[in-house]
Amino acid sequence: MGGASRSEKNRKQAANHRLAAAGITPKQSGPSGGTRIALIVVAAVVVVAGVIGYFVIHNRQSTTPNYAVAASGTVVTAGKADAPVTVDVYEDYLCPVCERFESRYSDDVTTALNDGKIKVNYHSTAILDPLTTPAGYSTLAANAALCAVPAGIWPAYHKALYADQPAEKSAGLTAAQLVQKGVDLGAKNADWSTCVTGNSNAAAITEATKAAIGNTALQTNGRFGTPTILVNDAKIDLNDSKWLENAIAGK
Amino acid sequence: MERGRILDVIGTLARLGLAAVWLVSGTIKAVDPDQTYIAVRAYDVLPTGVVSVVATVLPFLELALGVLLLIGLGTRAAAALAAVVLVVFIAGVVQAWARGLSIDCGCFGGGGQVAPDATAYGTEVLRDVGFLLLAGWLIVRPHTLFALDGRLESRPVRSGERN
Repeated sequence: MGGASRSEKNRKQAANHRLAAAGITPKQSGPSGGTRIALIVVAAVVVVAGVIGYFVIHNRQSTTPNYAVAASGTVVTAGKADAPVTVDVYEDYLCPVCERFESRYSDDVTTALNDGKIKVNYHSTAILDPLTTPAGYSTLAANAALCAVPAGIWPAYHKALYADQPAEKSAGLTAAQLVQKGVDLGAKNADWSTCVTGNSNAAAITEATKAAIGNTALQTNGRFGTPTILVNDAKIDLNDSKWLENAIAGK
Repeated sequence: MERGRILDVIGTLARLGLAAVWLVSGTIKAVDPDQTYIAVRAYDVLPTGVVSVVATVLPFLELALGVLLLIGLGTRAAAALAAVVLVVFIAGVVQAWARGLSIDCGCFGGGGQVAPDATAYGTEVLRDVGFLLLAGWLIVRPHTLFALDGRLESRPVRSGERN
């Protein structure tokens, strides 16, 4: 404040006087009408982006799972056996699109399972074993998830495996870390740790994976990939965000 | 051509160039939301809930910036917002580079994990710095040709016309 700004003001006034003498009225300082409109539009863009973000966050209320879970071989079945709609999910715990599928639909799937509208067969597949160093995280995680069924923590453990999904081409998580994750979620049975570190379902998971890869009904453009989702034995398009609504509605 | 006119032309090219960048990148991201989500998540900075918000909003923010710059509405403010977004992008790439992640920036589609020898952090940062220079020009000198701003601006009037 003070001297500098006052002399700046004097200079501007003098300049304006000279312009006025030449017959020109200079623009007023501060935003003119047009500039104000422009600023309002840009501000509106920012606000709209913020509002969308707010609603995206608040639309995801987490549902507590209270459905039954049973394992048969390498398949984990969630929900009532007599549910009218059967969903089959082929997933690999290292696959980013599987994580995306889980984060996008898990709340809706949980609600539908709780309500007895669907049952879901989660097929343990491990196609990305070579993508960790050491290799084999996909199988190790799938095995741990199968161990989580008798431990009584499968829904929470399944969620946690995706929430803390390691990156492809990383080291993955160790068996010890997978054990700890289950302990944190309340796995209390004595053989939880042995089950996870022993990786005893590995051979069965490899077999199930081979079978899935060889099953033409599961292929997209001639290749098997994860996630692959079936509704009543028909493969769905993952770009269809209404697949679950339609499945429940019987469409 | 007088100097101001040349500067206007340079500014117009910067504005339309930057608009094209946002429109292309925003469209690619908007049509493949799952890929955009994976690209954002690969930076390994945000919690999952926030990743999906950013992945949902970002494509449309980019498209909005593209449209504003294309029609030249609020050029200086749009360029300033673009510069902020670009600085965030550069920071994201630099942190991935510094932490030794091997990801694709997903700037124009793609994104996610890549082989360690397939990263292109240097090129990605340089490209974003180039875009930042375009935005910088428009912040310093937002006056351009064929812009809605020019139509909205009150033109200097003869003194006799005022009151």
